[in-house]
Amino acid sequence: MATELLIWLIPLPPVLAFFLIVLLTNRNKALSHTVGVGAAFLSWLGSMVVFVRALGVEHLGEHPFVSSVTWLPLGETTDTYFDIGILVDPTGAAVLFFVAWTIFMIFLYSVGYQNFGQPKGDHDQAGLPPHGATVEEHGHRHRVPSVEPMYSRFFAFLGLFAFGMYVLVLSDNLLTLFVGWEIMGLCSYLLIGFWYAKPSAREAGVKAFMTTRVGDVFMLLGVAYLYSATGTLSFREIFTEGVLHTLATVPSGVLGLSAAGLIGLLLFIGAVGKSAQFPLHVWLPDAMEGPTPVSAMIHAATMVSAGVYLVIRMFPLISLDPTTMAIVAFIGAFTALFSATIAVAQNDIKRVLAYSTISQLGFMIAALGIGAYVAAAFHLITHAFFKALLFLGSGSVIHGMEHGVLHTGDHKVDPQDMFNMGGLRKKMPITFWTFLIGGFALSGFPVLTAGFWSKDEILADAFGHGHWAVFITLAVAAFLTAFYTMRQITLTFLGEPRTKEAEHAQETPWTMTVPLVVLAFFAVTAGWVGIPEHFPALGGLIPNWFHEFVGGTLAEHPEAVEFSIWPLLTSLFVALGGLGLGWLVYRNVKTPAEDRLQIPVLKNKYYFDEIYDYLFVKPAYWFAETVIYKFMDQGVIDGFLHSFGPVTDRFGSAIRNYFDLPVINRFFGDGSANVTYWFGGKLRVVQTGRIQQYLMFALVVFIAVGAALYFFLLA
Amino acid sequence: MVPLSWYLIFAAALFSIGLFGVLSRRNAVAILLGVELMLNSVNINLAAFWRYGDVSQMAGQVFAIIVFAVAAAEVAVGLALVISVYRRRNTVVADEINMMKW
Amino acid sequence: MNFIDTHLLSLILFVPALAAVIILFLPNGENRVFRWFAFGASFIPFVLSLLVWFRFDANQSGFQFEEIYVWYEAIGSSLHLGVDGLSLTMVLLTTILTPLSILASFSITDRVKAYMILFLLLETGMLGVFMALDLLIFFVFWEVGLVPMYFLINQWGSANRNYASLKFLIYTMGGSLGLLLGIQLLGVLFNTYDLQIITAQWSTYTEDIAGIPASTFKTVAFWAFVIAFAIKVPVWPFHTWLPDAHTEAPTAGSMILAGVLLKLGAYGFLRLILPLYPEQARVFAGALAVLATAAIVFGAFASYAQTDFKRLVAYSSVNHMGFVVLGIAAAGLASGTPDAHIALNGAILQMFNHGLSAAGMFFLVGVIYERTHTRNLNEFGGLFPLVPVYGGILIFTSMASLGLPGLNGFVSEFLVVRGAWPILPVYTAIAMLGLLFTGAYILKGIKMVLHGPLNEHWAPAGGEHKLTEINTREILVMVPLMALILWIGIWPAWILDVINKAVVRLF
Repeated sequence: MATELLIWLIPLPPVLAFFLIVLLTNRNKALSHTVGVGAAFLSWLGSMVVFVRALGVEHLGEHPFVSSVTWLPLGETTDTYFDIGILVDPTGAAVLFFVAWTIFMIFLYSVGYQNFGQPKGDHDQAGLPPHGATVEEHGHRHRVPSVEPMYSRFFAFLGLFAFGMYVLVLSDNLLTLFVGWEIMGLCSYLLIGFWYAKPSAREAGVKAFMTTRVGDVFMLLGVAYLYSATGTLSFREIFTEGVLHTLATVPSGVLGLSAAGLIGLLLFIGAVGKSAQFPLHVWLPDAMEGPTPVSAMIHAATMVSAGVYLVIRMFPLISLDPTTMAIVAFIGAFTALFSATIAVAQNDIKRVLAYSTISQLGFMIAALGIGAYVAAAFHLITHAFFKALLFLGSGSVIHGMEHGVLHTGDHKVDPQDMFNMGGLRKKMPITFWTFLIGGFALSGFPVLTAGFWSKDEILADAFGHGHWAVFITLAVAAFLTAFYTMRQITLTFLGEPRTKEAEHAQETPWTMTVPLVVLAFFAVTAGWVGIPEHFPALGGLIPNWFHEFVGGTLAEHPEAVEFSIWPLLTSLFVALGGLGLGWLVYRNVKTPAEDRLQIPVLKNKYYFDEIYDYLFVKPAYWFAETVIYKFMDQGVIDGFLHSFGPVTDRFGSAIRNYFDLPVINRFFGDGSANVTYWFGGKLRVVQTGRIQQYLMFALVVFIAVGAALYFFLLA
Repeated sequence: MVPLSWYLIFAAALFSIGLFGVLSRRNAVAILLGVELMLNSVNINLAAFWRYGDVSQMAGQVFAIIVFAVAAAEVAVGLALVISVYRRRNTVVADEINMMKW
Repeated sequence: MNFIDTHLLSLILFVPALAAVIILFLPNGENRVFRWFAFGASFIPFVLSLLVWFRFDANQSGFQFEEIYVWYEAIGSSLHLGVDGLSLTMVLLTTILTPLSILASFSITDRVKAYMILFLLLETGMLGVFMALDLLIFFVFWEVGLVPMYFLINQWGSANRNYASLKFLIYTMGGSLGLLLGIQLLGVLFNTYDLQIITAQWSTYTEDIAGIPASTFKTVAFWAFVIAFAIKVPVWPFHTWLPDAHTEAPTAGSMILAGVLLKLGAYGFLRLILPLYPEQARVFAGALAVLATAAIVFGAFASYAQTDFKRLVAYSSVNHMGFVVLGIAAAGLASGTPDAHIALNGAILQMFNHGLSAAGMFFLVGVIYERTHTRNLNEFGGLFPLVPVYGGILIFTSMASLGLPGLNGFVSEFLVVRGAWPILPVYTAIAMLGLLFTGAYILKGIKMVLHGPLNEHWAPAGGEHKLTEINTREILVMVPLMALILWIGIWPAWILDVINKAVVRLF
């Protein structure tokens, strides 16, 4: 099959699965997940074929796979159209690779996570997490996990989500990218609020949608601006020298930015929303309300990556204006550090990972802000693998803990609180080892893990290009990252079980552990494709393939940064130091009270939720209800309209009382009647009823008139 | 030939007799007779004027014939009315038929 | 067959009225007969307009399927019908929505005969406005549509229907006074009411009229037209009749009201104001843009503030129609430029799209109202598990209303924003605030109705729940709407092509 056609087909299976499940198979759980996982597999297969073929193309950056069709008929003549199409260039191929893998793994994992094969719950209802079922076996009753009531629906949503991500990655233009972007937004809303009967999940879904939508409307403006400035949204047509030059030189009239700067900034705000960067980061931790595969999907593999992917895609444009780049770098570096500090004080196993995700995305954004295009793409990919691994691992832990909770029957124990865990390495060995790999990759454990290579490259770039502030900020953030990761591993897996539930935790089924192992493999090996050439001992053993490949996307091939020992030493120090310190501090901590870092300001995320609520949400509602609806519409406008009623009424009664009644009725109407009546009364005596009198009278009148006529006219 | 004025004087006399009959007689039938006289006096005038005017113009004669027809119709209706009134009121005295007043 | 070929438009126009007359003479009794007869009768115009749609040649300029009949020769008015790409789209929308609305009204049990008669007359009124090429005929049909709607609200509406119907009628009538005056002026001036002739002459007319300079005269007439149409659209601040009328009208009435009647106003802008007053439209485009932006932003805010589900949807119409007017304002300012064409493409497509999604939303509100007899959002809550199919359909339609890419609303809103941005950047940017709050109120609706803890009232513990799932008839109403929503969202070329060619030629 032609590669272009194949690329067109990649997004289709998941969306077909969505419709198939929603319309036909939703009553049958097994059929639904077969359709869902099967679709994910087909897309994965297609992606892999495309990826392998892309590797075989020389200078893929200059000759990418492209194909387009006409979509919107717009314009002056009958044959001008807005085209949409597909594009796979080196960056696209690399992103497609990790997207396909993680999505497929998450689909597989969901089968186990949603307890397929388990009995129906005793009191489960749609909209709430399953509570477990009682079964009788060998004469005694015990509780086991129950299957998710909305099992089929979950796969349908995942399918739609996957469709959105594939569309986003494969688009050759900003508009269809935005389409995929928003479809993912919808799915994140639906999936975060999957257990919609929980008020917290419901709110979290709305919050996620609305916060990202803030970014989206700016992005839409950016898209509109770009489209009107260049007349096209196709990446390949925008990223030509002439177009870029025009954009860079035309002033936008806002804040002294060039057109490119303003467009870049608007698009970047979209990315800020989607990738949960400061100040639009608030939705992401709450999004943990969704089932864990969703967290992995949204936070690691796909949706939050979309923001970074957008910035990577639009890098040639965004990098034109230094002001925009400075803003990008600042937001990224600040977010990286800021959310790392919050992550240190979280006790929920998934929330730690959520803040860690925000922080790592900050690394990528900061890297892009300082122009380290390849490093950002590299970190995006390695991060996707190890963060998906960590999320799925944490899901596995929670699942194991829930098993313990069902066993003891004490539903007050929160299976996500790390202080309720401990010693899980013996109960859940596969989960432990894969989680350890993921955690070390996140911390940047030297040489072995993927995270080390990508993070090191970002630091090296910051150092090499003299961005000291960014370098130091990121280094501190990296240190904190290692620290909280080790804290998490220590509290969860090491030591002795701190609760009965943890003692009865169980390893999860193969559908969940296989994805963990696969992702762990990539969490290690994904880094080896990008080892800098001059790295001591290892450099040059494997060529820095990633830099060559992805760098080829840009028109000007970026120079690999000069090797320097300092950033290397820094990353070695922060990774090992953070890990070591984390273990030292937390190996003996048993309860939250003993944890000295439970500072309220960190624990409460710097009170951002409260501040936003106070500054934006409440005033917006007040403005909407009191000012717009009650005051303006119902008060002023309707009041004005209602005043017409009384005024018209007054006017009407004035006319009636002072004109109609006296003048028309009394004077003209009644008056003329009265006169006629009076006159008739006086005249009626003439009517005698005697015909001869009438004739006599007529004769007299006749003679009189005749005489008069004779006298006056003739005589 | 007899002068025209003779005819006219005769017609006027006849008209006056008819008029007097209409105004003074109490019997409704007599009043009708008076009306007939007046109509016939007009006929005399019409015939006389025709004869003394342009003989080739037939209008005078035609009018006279129309007046005959009208007179006949009028008498038919008038007598029918009188009979009808008589049947109801048992009188043909004009003064007593005075219901159409205020 | 030949007769049908040559009288397509008048058949589409008068078949509903004829059917209404026939229903009048049907014997009283079985409601079923009236329902099915009315449904069948409204289906004929739909089939015929499909015929027109497929025979329509988008590449040909001017009006097609024209028909002229002598009507009022003494004053130069004739029954002149014709369609171009702009009006054909609206005719199609009307003929699609009317059968669906009649199907949606099958649950009406009170005085079905009268109801169906009014509904069919309403269809004739609306179609007449879209097809008329004679100003007087345009006005006649404009007013004809009002009367059945008034009675539909007044007789079959909910609690506050007297107030709402009166407000609707008086407001619209008041607005159309100026319109009538303007039309009379043009008629007297040119001794004809034929739109094509007047358009050709009036836009370049410069002589004094009764001693008043033509420009002053035109400005006054322009505003008379604008106010009439602005009330109908409705543009802020003439919009307050809309939430009342929409909320109180019976379900199908709201569907038609939002789906088609609002489009009459926007259609008036496109058919009369822009071609007749290009100069004034350019001068006052800023004012129009202010009002449009206010409608978008305030409409969204007001919608967000509602606790009545139907009122929330009603205000969303103000928000969405604001984009249509924004596109028109942009096109008025920069008439003839590619940007203006894109904005108008968006505006017209938005009219069609809003017709689909708003009708769907009102219908869904009606479905839940019939079962619960409340529209108060606070009394719902967590209904999703009880009515999963309904919930899915509601989310789908809400997302279309929200402008989710992949569904129809996005295409048109994007085109409006794209077209308006280079012409009116500041207003477009402010309008984005409205777009943001579109999300807020849509999600609020879903959140309060479907999500959250189940309100015990609808499903007492241990008892059978009181809520029944959406039934087959109701799904049948939604299926064509949803199919079109998805279709236009994914592949808008089939309709946009017709619109685009008309827009490029007209403006």
